[in-house]
Amino acid sequence: MRIKTPREKKILIVKTTVRWLLYYVLIFFAFVFMTSGTFMKPVVLIPLALCIAVNNDRVGSAVTGAICGFLIDMSCGKLFGYNAVILTFFCIVLSLLFELYLRHRFINILITVAVVSFLQGWLDYKFYYEIWKYEDVEVIFRTVTLPVWAYTVISTVFVYLVIKLINHFLMPKEHLTLEEAIKTE
Amino acid sequence: MREFLKSTRFKVLLAFLAFLVGIMIYAVTKGGYSVSGASFVNTITKPFRSASNGISMKIEHWLDKVTNATEYYNENQRLKQQIGELNKELTEYEALKEEVEQLRKFVTIKEEHQDYVITQPCDVLGYVANDPFKSFTIDRGTDVGIEPYCPVVTAEGLVGITVEVSEHVSTVRTILSPDLSVAAICSESSSTDYGIIEGSVLCAQQGLTKLIHLDLENKLEAGDLMVTTGTSGYFPKGYSIGTVKSVGIDSSGLSACAEIEPCIDISRLSSVVVITDFSGKNTGEEETENED
Repeated sequence: MRIKTPREKKILIVKTTVRWLLYYVLIFFAFVFMTSGTFMKPVVLIPLALCIAVNNDRVGSAVTGAICGFLIDMSCGKLFGYNAVILTFFCIVLSLLFELYLRHRFINILITVAVVSFLQGWLDYKFYYEIWKYEDVEVIFRTVTLPVWAYTVISTVFVYLVIKLINHFLMPKEHLTLEEAIKTE
Repeated sequence: MREFLKSTRFKVLLAFLAFLVGIMIYAVTKGGYSVSGASFVNTITKPFRSASNGISMKIEHWLDKVTNATEYYNENQRLKQQIGELNKELTEYEALKEEVEQLRKFVTIKEEHQDYVITQPCDVLGYVANDPFKSFTIDRGTDVGIEPYCPVVTAEGLVGITVEVSEHVSTVRTILSPDLSVAAICSESSSTDYGIIEGSVLCAQQGLTKLIHLDLENKLEAGDLMVTTGTSGYFPKGYSIGTVKSVGIDSSGLSACAEIEPCIDISRLSSVVVITDFSGKNTGEEETENED
């Protein structure tokens, strides 16, 4: 990596700060969306946390996962910390996966979000409904868990685009492009 | 001069003057009615006068506008402001009216049940996301004396119970949930059937709840009102829950069950009240004594 001048360092700090600010503004709006209305809605905080995680370091990903998890717990009326644990774990795993094995492609992110949100929904169904053996409990899986999962996967498209837009302008480049390398020489 | 006084023209003029005086005297004698000549002239000239008057009025208005434009502009601005203020007052009035209507409903709860200690109306902050049993949060908590397991009602009927209470926000579990059981009895004098109101997955999807553990030989009919028995000490006695929609046999075949339509549409609530105390409330002391 190229050695940065003090001015470039300052720009980097400002860009990083603004980027994280925008992430949290998005998280705030996602929470507001999730707490409004009586209609069935995607758990939009899951793709948001995961999209942030795949582009950032493990600590930032873990903290974001925890915050988004707490907000999901509050909006979905779950035990405080239940989703925080799940999401923190998956955010760290995804951060590592995308750092070491996977490329930052939309299809990879979509598949990982689909898997994680399905697991989250399935665990939610298991612990909050099926374990209590309500009569006709499978109806909840069919009419609530699966549609919410589908909406969440669909919402990933929009979340991915917004996060990509933010990253495009505010994410520092880790590697030099050929043109930059030539200019540096 | 003498020549003029002696002339025929003078005599004619004098005669004409006398004629006019005569007409005047005649007009006086008509007692307010026009003389026929005047009436005729009026009739003939009426459309012309009307048109002419119209034109002149328009010109006058135009001139008035030109000369008093600033004055009118100022008046217009003042009136616009006045309309704005009146509209604002009207909106406030409508909001107040709605609030008064709601308060009036809630006051009836207090009037009908003197022993209740109720909170001020609590606004519904929002429904729990994707909850099939329509749990919701309200904007009051321990700051107004709400505790976990306080009954939540509207003037129409029972809504649910508080399950998670913080200082300014409480979560309410509704009677659509299978996790909430309420002992209920039929309020009709002809029937003393009782059972347990407990939500079910299928009923909750239709906004209904279920009455279970009913006697197989019950006399319940569609439209019968179910009220709380108050035996658990968690709910006040005799509060409306809902009406019977249909009666059937339980899946086990050992008891009957009924679909209950809550007195209020639980998925469309905007405000509720919480009963923080009532006579016969389970304070938890008895349980402690029993445990001891």
